[in-house]
Amino acid sequence: MLKWFEETDRESPNIIYSRIRLVRNWTEYPFSGKLTEGQAREMVSRLEKGMRDFCLEEGRDYDFTMLEELSDLERRALRERRILNGTLASKKDPVGLILSRDERVSLVLNGDDHIRMQFIAPGMKLKELWKEADRADDFINGIFPYAYDRKYGFLTAYPTNVGTGLRASAVVHLPALSSGKKFSSLLGEMSRFGASVRGLYGEGNENYGSLYVVSNQKTLGVTEEEIAGLVEKVARQLAEQEQQVRDMALSSDRLGQEDEAYKSYGVLKYARRLTWKDAMIFLSRMMTGVSDGILKFDGPCPVFSIMLGIQKANLQRISQRPLSRAELDVARAGYIRAELPELSGI
Amino acid sequence: MLCEKCRVREATIQYTEVVNGVRTEHNFCAQCASEMDLGQDFPLGRLLSGLLGLGTESPREEKYSQVVCPTCGTSYGDFVKNSRFGCPDCYEVFDLLISDKIKQLQGSDSHKGKTAKNQTEKTERQEERAEAPSDGKDGLEEQIARLYACQQAAVRREDYEEAARCRDEIRKLRTGSETDA
Repeated sequence: MLKWFEETDRESPNIIYSRIRLVRNWTEYPFSGKLTEGQAREMVSRLEKGMRDFCLEEGRDYDFTMLEELSDLERRALRERRILNGTLASKKDPVGLILSRDERVSLVLNGDDHIRMQFIAPGMKLKELWKEADRADDFINGIFPYAYDRKYGFLTAYPTNVGTGLRASAVVHLPALSSGKKFSSLLGEMSRFGASVRGLYGEGNENYGSLYVVSNQKTLGVTEEEIAGLVEKVARQLAEQEQQVRDMALSSDRLGQEDEAYKSYGVLKYARRLTWKDAMIFLSRMMTGVSDGILKFDGPCPVFSIMLGIQKANLQRISQRPLSRAELDVARAGYIRAELPELSGI
Repeated sequence: MLCEKCRVREATIQYTEVVNGVRTEHNFCAQCASEMDLGQDFPLGRLLSGLLGLGTESPREEKYSQVVCPTCGTSYGDFVKNSRFGCPDCYEVFDLLISDKIKQLQGSDSHKGKTAKNQTEKTERQEERAEAPSDGKDGLEEQIARLYACQQAAVRREDYEEAARCRDEIRKLRTGSETDA
C-alpha cells in the first residue's frame, strides 16, 4: 500500500501536504502529565479497546503499538515521517499509537493529551481532512466523554491548544520567494492574520529544502472551519506568489532555469556521496523543475517522499545498523539513485 | 508537598544548597523563600514570573501561586512554571487567574465552534450550573458584547477616553459575574 507521501498531488502546485491535528481529553482521568504509570497503562488500554470500533468503522487497516516497544531509531523515524513530534518521540511514559497502513491517520494515546488525532494528505486538502477529523471525533466522543467547558471549549493540558484543540497546517515549497529580501517581513505580515509560518527543517537561511509550514496560532475563539480556511488561504497565497516569481524567472531566463533543474537531477542521479544539506538543496531545485514542467518522467516523481527518505533515522533503519557520518552520506546517495525515476523525453 | 518552614502553604520552590560538597534540598513556599535570605543573586521574582509573563506584581501573584486544584494537586505556581494544566478542573479552579492570560495568548477567552457531545453527569452538572443564574447571565454576556463593540468603535475614532470607560465597565461586569459564580 502506498504511503501518503509517496503519492503526488498535481492540483495545488507548491503545496506539499496538509495536516489536521486534534487533541482531546477523556473526563475520567486527569491530564497525561498527572497520571501514575499504572493509571496511564490502564487508560491507554481502555482507549485502545474503544478505538477498535473506530478502526472497524473507518474500514482502513490499522496497527496498534506501544511506543515503549519500539527502538529509539524507529521512534525517530516516525518523527521524521511526521507521525510523532519531538516530545512524543522521546517520552518514556506508556504511549499508544494507532497508525493506519498508509500513515494518513494516526491516533496517539496518552501523549501530551489523552487523544491526539492526526490526518495528513498530499496537496491542499484541509477542508476534506477537517471533515474526516470531525467525523472521527464525533465517533470517538460517542465512546469517550470529553473534557469540555462552555467557556473554554475542549480542555487541553496546554492552554495553547484549548478551545478547538485544532492545529491545521500546510507545508509549502517556496524556493524563489524565500530567496527574496522581503521574505522575512512577508512572514511577519502573515502572523498579523493569525497564521504562523516557519521553516520545516530549520530557520532563516538554514532551512534547506525551502519547505515552510503554515499553521494557525490561535485555537480559541475561532471555529474549526475558520481555522482551516485561514491556513488554506495563507498557504495558497504564498504558493501563488511563489509561482508568480518563478513564472517571471522562466519567461526571462528559461535556459537558466532548465540548466539548474537538469544539473540538480544529474548530481542526485549520479553522486556517490551526498550530505543531507546538499541533497536537500538539489532535491528542492529538482522539485521546482518537476513542478514547472521542466523535468518530465513517465510516472509520478514524489520528490518529497525522497526528502523524507534521506533523513538520518530512516537511512539507518534501512541499513539496519548505526552509520557514521561518512557512511550516511554514501547510503543517502545510494537511496536517491535507487528512488529517482529515469527522465523521459529528453 | 508542603513548605518545610511554615508547613501551611504548598512548596513551590526547590532550593538546593551545597556546603563543602554536601548537598541538601529544601522545599519552600514562595512567601517563606522570599522572607529568607537565600543569597542576593537568587532571581526569585523572575523564576516565578514564568512563561505567561507575570509581571513583578509579586505579592499578589505569589499569594495566588499557592492556590491548588483539589482534584489533581496542581498549584497555580506549577501552572505558571510549566504552562500546563493537570486536569480539566484546573480551568475552573484557576479561572479568575488565567482568564486574562488566556485572552492574551489566544486573543479570546470564549470558545466558538464545535461542542462536545458528551452525555455524562459532569457536563450536565456544568450546564445546570451555567444555566441556573442565566436570567442575568445571558443579558450580561450581551451587555459585555455591546460594550466591547462600543469600545472598538471608540478606538477606531481614537476616542480613548470613551474606550477606557467601556473597558472599565466590562471589567466591572466581568468581575461582578465571576465572584458571584
